[in-house]
Amino acid sequence: MTKHEIDCEQALDQLVEFIDHELPGGKHDALQRHLHTCKSCFSRFEFERRLKEKLGTLREAEVPSGTSERIKKLLKSF
Amino acid sequence: MPVSRETFESQVLELLGRLQGVARRLTRNDTDAEDLVAETVARAWRALDTLEHEAAFRGWIFRILNNAFLDECRRRGARPLLEPLDCEEPEGDDEQFSIFEQMHQPFLLWFSTPEQQFLDKLLREDLERALATLPECYRIVVILSDLEEFSYAEIAETLAVPVGTVRSRLARARSALQKILWQQAREIGLAAKAPAGQDWGDDGSAPRRTTERSKKGKVT
Repeated sequence: MTKHEIDCEQALDQLVEFIDHELPGGKHDALQRHLHTCKSCFSRFEFERRLKEKLGTLREAEVPSGTSERIKKLLKSF
Repeated sequence: MPVSRETFESQVLELLGRLQGVARRLTRNDTDAEDLVAETVARAWRALDTLEHEAAFRGWIFRILNNAFLDECRRRGARPLLEPLDCEEPEGDDEQFSIFEQMHQPFLLWFSTPEQQFLDKLLREDLERALATLPECYRIVVILSDLEEFSYAEIAETLAVPVGTVRSRLARARSALQKILWQQAREIGLAAKAPAGQDWGDDGSAPRRTTERSKKGKVT
């Protein structure tokens, strides 16, 4: 292992930030290289990434018409 | 540069669905959610001169929404898990729960493993129910990060906590969420920690729900 490589324990420590795209470039790249060679970590990260993705599908953009009308009236009253 | 009335209105209307969605998940009630959004918009209008530039609008108005929700909880005398300390794990209980670790079986291809099949079978209602069960201070970070795609810095600003707190709270929140999902899955027979080489029995002993999932089969 070179100084730029990480082990499984270090990879798991960075899991949350990695799937949230919050890991700085160098650390991100090192972790990405680890995932290319470690099946166990790849499977774990893939699971976490998919779960996050599924949660993202719960996001709502539609507004009930009653709410929309109420807020428009409120905005006009300001 | 101050934000104009026109910009305020257009930003509110653009974000209305997302404000309503977050409010509904916080209040767990459509009527209360609508009241919370209206209160948020009214407070935001009154505080408009505190918004320095349009780019900060999203974080600013979600912060107002979160504060309005907390104020309403206090007014009603409810005591949800609001304070950061309430959300800390007891000392020595820092273990992260992971569905992956419960289900993973090495030597299987990653796309056909029990944990991947578990995800395939997860329904929207399962996720909604698990999210609604989370304590408030965990629920809000999951909503802002995973549903609203806020960065850690934006969540920190919205909740008025340090970025490090956002990071640790998210880790705990996801662990708690997976624990709830796992319990739900076991209750309905979707998941079981089967001994190596054994499958979840087809003896009808596990309760089943009548959903499209039951047609797809189950996951061990």
